Amino acid sequence: MLTEEEKGVIRALQGDVPLVEGPFREIGLRLGMAQERVMTVIAGLIERGVIRRVGAVVRHGRVGYGTNAMVLWAVPPERCRAVGERLAAFSAVSHCYLREPYLEGRYNIYTMIHHRGTEEDCAALIDEMAKEVGIEDRLVLYSEREYKKTSMEYL
Amino acid sequence: MDEQDAKILNRLQRGLPLSATPYGDVAAELGMTGEELIRRVRRMKEEGVIRRIGAVFNPAALGYVSTLVAARVPPEGVEAFVAVVNAYPGVTHNYGRRGAYNVWFTLTCKGEDELARTIDEIRAATGVKDLISLRSREVYKIDARFEV
Repeated sequence: MLTEEEKGVIRALQGDVPLVEGPFREIGLRLGMAQERVMTVIAGLIERGVIRRVGAVVRHGRVGYGTNAMVLWAVPPERCRAVGERLAAFSAVSHCYLREPYLEGRYNIYTMIHHRGTEEDCAALIDEMAKEVGIEDRLVLYSEREYKKTSMEYL
Repeated sequence: MDEQDAKILNRLQRGLPLSATPYGDVAAELGMTGEELIRRVRRMKEEGVIRRIGAVFNPAALGYVSTLVAARVPPEGVEAFVAVVNAYPGVTHNYGRRGAYNVWFTLTCKGEDELARTIDEIRAATGVKDLISLRSREVYKIDARFEV
């Protein structure tokens, strides 16, 4: 459960942290909280895993990551954890999940790949990943269009 | 974008210090003044390099449920389909991809009922029947930070 204080802080942080010398002081002024209290509440939310991080969210396409692919892997159920963890270890992989139901009855592990090179370079990396985990059967879905990319407003 | 900008992006993606003067602290680490760092960050936000500086949440910890939806949409219907889907505030990412399933979006809702209802509504409003909700069962990595 969230306290009213925590809800206020979450509302403030789901948008933009003010770009001023003392942003937590400013958030505190808005919420009627001392800045130390604001920082303590944030630290508590991070500790509990409600907040993953407070920082810059970057548009990857604007900082040179022009090739983006979602790769679906057909992994035998008993190997999912081991394969998922090995694929996750690749630095180009930002997200790695097991999803259900299996797409087309067999694709279950999803990796999001962001690459600075061309599609050919990205394909070479995917081949390397396949060899690393010993899984050949995969679906490579390159992003062609971004229709929407926003942040969720929770409260 | 120059080397100083890159340093700022890398540092601020790691996290803002919880202090009275977080930008000033980061600036001191990087060997610039707080004013210069704020000026550069403001410019990068205007240019669209930085989407925002704020918290990234774990939806499940806030009582939300989320899913990835794959849709098979006829090419001539994609525009209308996307307009319906994007109108939901719980749809945060939506991409066109090459493949049999050509539209992929994430949907975050307040509970299972709302999630199921939303998917039904999208089916009814668009006539697209082949929508699959692919729920995450295990998370091996979430790290949307980009070394510049």
